Amino acid sequence: MVDVQIRDLTRVFNEGRDEIVAVDGIDLTIEDGEFVTLVGPSGCGKTTTLRCVAGLDTPTGGTIHFGDRNVTNLPVQERDVALLFQDIALYPHMSVRDNMAYGLKIEGVSREERYARVEDAAELLQITDQLDKGPGDLSGGQRQRVALGRSLVRDPTVFLFDEPMSDLDAKLKRELRPVVEQVTAEIGCPVLYVTHDQEEAMTMSDRIAIMNQGELEQVGPPKEVYEDPATEFVSGFIGQPNAQFFDGRIATANGVVTLEIGDFDFDLSVDPGALDGFGGEAIRVGIRPQNIHVSENPDDGIPATHLLDEPLGDETHSFFETEMGEVIVVTDSDFEGDGGDYGLVLDSDYAKLFDVESGVRIA
Amino acid sequence: MSADSKKGGILGLGYQSEQRLFDYSKVASAVIFFVFGVFPIYWMAQSSLKIRSAVTSPEVSWYPTPATFTLENYDVLTNPDVVLYVVNTIVVTIGTILAVVVISLIAGYGLARLRFPHKENFARFLLFGYLFSPIVLGLPLYLIWKQLGLLNTRIGLIVALSAISMPFAVWLMWKYVQTIPESMEESAWVAGASRWRGFRDVIVPQSQPAIIAAALFGFAIAWNDFTFAQILLPRNEATTFAPGIFRLITQGYDIAWGDIMAVSLMMTLPPLVFAYFMQSYLLKGFQIRSL
Repeated sequence: MVDVQIRDLTRVFNEGRDEIVAVDGIDLTIEDGEFVTLVGPSGCGKTTTLRCVAGLDTPTGGTIHFGDRNVTNLPVQERDVALLFQDIALYPHMSVRDNMAYGLKIEGVSREERYARVEDAAELLQITDQLDKGPGDLSGGQRQRVALGRSLVRDPTVFLFDEPMSDLDAKLKRELRPVVEQVTAEIGCPVLYVTHDQEEAMTMSDRIAIMNQGELEQVGPPKEVYEDPATEFVSGFIGQPNAQFFDGRIATANGVVTLEIGDFDFDLSVDPGALDGFGGEAIRVGIRPQNIHVSENPDDGIPATHLLDEPLGDETHSFFETEMGEVIVVTDSDFEGDGGDYGLVLDSDYAKLFDVESGVRIA
Repeated sequence: MSADSKKGGILGLGYQSEQRLFDYSKVASAVIFFVFGVFPIYWMAQSSLKIRSAVTSPEVSWYPTPATFTLENYDVLTNPDVVLYVVNTIVVTIGTILAVVVISLIAGYGLARLRFPHKENFARFLLFGYLFSPIVLGLPLYLIWKQLGLLNTRIGLIVALSAISMPFAVWLMWKYVQTIPESMEESAWVAGASRWRGFRDVIVPQSQPAIIAAALFGFAIAWNDFTFAQILLPRNEATTFAPGIFRLITQGYDIAWGDIMAVSLMMTLPPLVFAYFMQSYLLKGFQIRSL
């Protein structure tokens, strides 16, 4: 049983005279057999974190343990990790079979045993027919499978993924996601999967860690981070289309808490106690486009002019221009705005309130 | 409006005129190449197949006739001196190629992958070697080699020739290794390979075009070298082909043109064959942007 414990991990790069803090003291534990996805925008420090766990980069501060083994300063060769690279990194001068067997060759496994294990892995990944080809003859999806197989045969202690699917098209990604889950379940080790694609994070993970500017914003199961975001950033990053944000104000009158956005008031069904001290204060309101309703009557809510519709078949994404900027609303599949004037009604049950300064969730 | 009246192209002429001009220039450049590049080789070949009086006669003869044809010039290839020159040249060339490839690959890898202070300056400084002509470098080398006892040794010449081949070869390897994604090596390390093992298993096989290009470059430098061999191998018994043949010309009462042409032709063939079979690799090796 091995878990991965990252404690107060910090990585500072010195670029000339500037110090760039890529990772700023993060704590994260990945249980044995758990699939944790580290997600965030480019430059948030997620790949640096992964490279520190792999041993390809050395942390400036903090520790990394695999089980009770402190690996913080252990060279990459001695960590027994598998890493799937963004560019897949198959060797063009070796056949698929030898690519997959290379790790075992270094371990000193006999040729017979190597190829037998490659055959087994290839069967699981459905690439048996490709074993004698070169990597250049394979399609993008097949290459991913070979790369997965290369890690599978080694049975690593920890499995790391560095945005392996970012160069694939959406359909191929959907095809490969179950394969990745199958392979990682087969190995049964802790998995750290780095991606900037929140859909990948949502679909594959046991838990998601959302990272921004070198810090972890929230760690939790996909449903939890979606429904109960800890910060404005998480709320905006997880979910498609992105959550919409408004500047608002809290007003408390006769024990009823109302949320004012522009000229419009929405009743809030929150415990007034949670908003103590925020009465009359400016606040950020986040709401998912699914929880905004379009009223034919412009007086019913925030006045909005229809811009365009993106019909997706089962639903439509409609864009509106308001005083507070552009707002996206998920509407019914038969909605057609035709550039008219509407009122946007927020379903205040789903409204999330955030502190303006820190972005931390209030209610 | 005829097609020809449309002005355009690089020279501002009509497209058809430019096309014609381009075709003429192509033919002209081919002619120039033949006159100055190929014809001397033909002359060498046909002279080597003629009897002495036909070669030196003031009357120009374009090819050997039955009366002037002979193969006896090629007997010179069994002359012990000539055999020694050829063997020396081959040994020195192979030695130079090995030294150039091995050292430049390791140095190029270091430049591409390792971080050390003033790396870029170091690489630029390498090219300073080409600011000096071989004769300028050769004379101090003569004094140094003399002290070290490397005069008249093949090793001494190999070291000198490798040194002048190295800047270009290192530069080539540096740029070539940079084109190999670092993740390939990292992938090997993750699997447990040491830095050296990763270099051997990942970098060396993938650098094949650059290795061949560097080998060809070293070959050309060593095979065709005159200056260093003349200076560093002063003894007739130790020297290589180029100074050897030069000494053949200048020593003795009359010049054995037929013999010289025969030896020259034999020494011209290997580079041609070598380059011909390696040309696709050579082009690949030189096809690096920013080289």
